[in-house]
Amino acid sequence: MFKLLGAAIIIIATTWAGFEAARKLSTRPRQLRQLKVALQSLEAEIMYGHTPLKEAAQKLQKQLPKPLNHLFAAFATRLDQGETTVKEAWEESLTEVWSSLSLKQGEYEILTQFGEMLGKSDKYHQQKQIMLTMAHLEREESEAVDLQGKYEKMMKSLGFLSGLLLIILLM
Amino acid sequence: MESVLALLPKKIQDPLLRVPPDILSRSEEVRIRVGKPIEVTVAGQPYFIPYEVSARDAEQLLSHLSQFSLYTLEEELKRGYITIAGGHRVGLAGKVILENGTVKAIRDISSFNIRIARQKIGVAESLIPSIYNDQWHHTLIIGAPQTGKTTILRDIARIMSTGHEPLNIPAKKVGIVDERSEIAGCVHGVPQLEFGIRVDVLDGCPKAEGMMMMIRSMSPDILVVDEIGRQEDALAVLDAVNAGIKLIITTHGYTFQEVQKRPFIANLLAQNIFERFIEIRRDDKGNRSYHILNEKGQQVYVKAGAELHV
Repeated sequence: MFKLLGAAIIIIATTWAGFEAARKLSTRPRQLRQLKVALQSLEAEIMYGHTPLKEAAQKLQKQLPKPLNHLFAAFATRLDQGETTVKEAWEESLTEVWSSLSLKQGEYEILTQFGEMLGKSDKYHQQKQIMLTMAHLEREESEAVDLQGKYEKMMKSLGFLSGLLLIILLM
Repeated sequence: MESVLALLPKKIQDPLLRVPPDILSRSEEVRIRVGKPIEVTVAGQPYFIPYEVSARDAEQLLSHLSQFSLYTLEEELKRGYITIAGGHRVGLAGKVILENGTVKAIRDISSFNIRIARQKIGVAESLIPSIYNDQWHHTLIIGAPQTGKTTILRDIARIMSTGHEPLNIPAKKVGIVDERSEIAGCVHGVPQLEFGIRVDVLDGCPKAEGMMMMIRSMSPDILVVDEIGRQEDALAVLDAVNAGIKLIITTHGYTFQEVQKRPFIANLLAQNIFERFIEIRRDDKGNRSYHILNEKGQQVYVKAGAELHV
């Protein structure tokens, strides 16, 4: 009886871990897509609205789903407090929310680089910078989609099957 | 002054806050230069604050002025000044970048001149009876720089757009063409200074074009324009007069006689458009006097030793 209960617990645990890993694989491309949408609206705000970064970030915060909205919310608050630079405010907000995002180191570097130029030049240069960041993110996204296609199902079955293996070994 | 201080980064704000409040409240300009002490001008006299401004402070100040978004200031960097909330103007100087021979922007800004706008409500009150007689007269305000032409113009515009009960003057539709954002001090198109309800402002618009736009689209009773001087301005003025609109205009000059020698203004004067001329003079001590002349150049009103303003 206890053996069966233990086996069930093991299966549940490993299957859950497998699903979790698969979920991470699928949220990464989704978040990358949302990030691209965010950059696109930022571009529109800068090019057509001449909106200052703080207001643009506040608008983005309302438009975007969780957890990306936290990034822009944190950014807007930091700019609002003043006594900082855009670069610092962006980097601090990135590190603050980073653990809640499913993005990787490569994306972190792209985004910090993006923050360095933000607000520092005329709108055409800003647009170029946004385009460049978008292109980088696009590349990351296609890689992420690839990984998702390859490993998402595998992770799910791997979780269940490794649980099964463990039970057989322990029996 | 508080609205200016709020915009400054802390490092520049702190030394300014140590200045005696009575000096700070009367200051006309705050000048910030990289590597130099901060200068506060009070009644034409400089007053230095021993705090050396660093390049980083200047950068911080600019990013505060632009709300961290330089791209919002493209036009302003081209023109060399920024209008901030409260109607104050910040003049900029630094390395100028050219593109095809015209100014594209100012980079590495090393000097800021914050001109503190102080609306003096009521300064033009005593002049009104001389320029209103059942209807407003076409009026030309003549004064040298820093004599307070714009201050007078602004107050006249305020009285025109609110009306004036003691003299039984109704409120009129007033169109202001504010090329340098000086009259109304607009931020996001909304005047920061006090006017009546019936005021429309074309902010940052070239005067000649702006006058035509106003006439075509806003049907003002009175057009208020600052610093007329070029040929196209003079042409637009003629157009406006023929459209039946009253004009209140300022121009640079010391006296009526002197203005008559300026090429395009002389043309305008030859057409006998203006019915009143207000000369503003300022002596060394900063005391102002107002002389109002009629269309024939005869004095109809003098007010000497007027109190300090600007």
